[in-house]
Amino acid sequence: MNTYRLVILTPDKILFDEQVVQLIARTTEGDVGILAGHIRYAAILQTGVLQLKLPDGTTKTAAESGGILKVSDDKTTVMVTAAEWAEEIDPDWAERSRQDAIAKIEAAQNEPHRLDRANLKLQRALNRLQVSGHGTGRVSPPLKKKK
Amino acid sequence: MANLKTIKRRIHSVQSTMQITKAMELVASSKLRRAKERAEAAQPFFEATYKLMAEIAAEDPYFNSQFVRKRTETGACLLIVIAGDRGLAGGFNSNVLKIAQNRIQEIQKQGGNPIVLPIGQKAVDYFQNKNIKILQSYDHIAEHMHIYLAMDIAELILTTYQRHESLQSVELVFTNYVSPILQVAQKMNVIPLDDFPGTSPRHCAVEYEPSAEEVFDKLVPRYVASLIYGAVVESFAAEQASRRSAMENATDNATEMLDQLSLLYNRARQGAITQELTEIVSGANAQQ
Repeated sequence: MNTYRLVILTPDKILFDEQVVQLIARTTEGDVGILAGHIRYAAILQTGVLQLKLPDGTTKTAAESGGILKVSDDKTTVMVTAAEWAEEIDPDWAERSRQDAIAKIEAAQNEPHRLDRANLKLQRALNRLQVSGHGTGRVSPPLKKKK
Repeated sequence: MANLKTIKRRIHSVQSTMQITKAMELVASSKLRRAKERAEAAQPFFEATYKLMAEIAAEDPYFNSQFVRKRTETGACLLIVIAGDRGLAGGFNSNVLKIAQNRIQEIQKQGGNPIVLPIGQKAVDYFQNKNIKILQSYDHIAEHMHIYLAMDIAELILTTYQRHESLQSVELVFTNYVSPILQVAQKMNVIPLDDFPGTSPRHCAVEYEPSAEEVFDKLVPRYVASLIYGAVVESFAAEQASRRSAMENATDNATEMLDQLSLLYNRARQGAITQELTEIVSGANAQQ
């Protein structure tokens, strides 16, 4: 299988910079899969899941909170506001932020601007919960107990 | 004898000051290490975002985003000023505030209306006393700066810019961390985005989804947010570096003072002993 260099960037760190076989990401226009030799391409990513297929055949899953996907000749770059590996997500924390978001949504009923933001926050929390909980079968035991 | 006592008291006071400066130096240098790491980690994202924006702008000859277009000169300007939350950091706060103040005077001289968005307690205090319009102030955020907060600030800036056609530009005053001994306060333009230099228009077509403009407009808030995030963590690193060297100097000065004072003290002590001896001897002589 041909591989290519994938870089996942967030404002506070480089999450990933290695060779991969395939990346599946959710853009605003639908899911895309990027293989080696893809044409130059740029798209907006929704809050969602990044699925990576590594050269050794394993997969890795990460939750991301929206950003840009860019394919250039030498590498593919994912620039997102936040990203965590599925196994590194703390489900308690994600659950707390879900409840926090719900509380914020209730508090912001009359303020569309704050409501939007709270909705986004809820989306992120739900996404994290989903990725950590029912991701791709790479769930660590303590997470399962929680469900 | 009274002289001896005052010298001793001074020695004690210098010693306790030195203890404080030394402790502050240690705290600042350990904070500096972490802050530097954070500032460096923020770099790649910022560069990648900037590069992609530059590519889009360079590739599309009809490209005309509202954030790139130059507005008519009204003189109104939003100034984001990043200073520290605490003092005792050498010239750190005053340098950055001086640049901001100069810029404000320049704007006022042109008849414009400056608005400030201060970040950091020192900047907030400074502008509150100056009677300058404050859009929103943020304090005590630098040490635990978070990207979502930077996104909020970026959103506030962009909506303000979009809503007020008269706002000519958004500028940022912060301190650049060059090295542990050199920090430079500087001003940079945020919006309108400068012409992107150094990008060749030789690019073959890139496929954008949904479209180049939409990708660009999605990039702008992220760019501004990562710029602010980067500037805040960078300024924080600069503050710590500045405080560390200021406290190092203070500790050195205190050591020097202590040397001098102990010399003085010993001399005075010896003088007192000599005098006592002379008195005894002359007393004994008088007895004979």
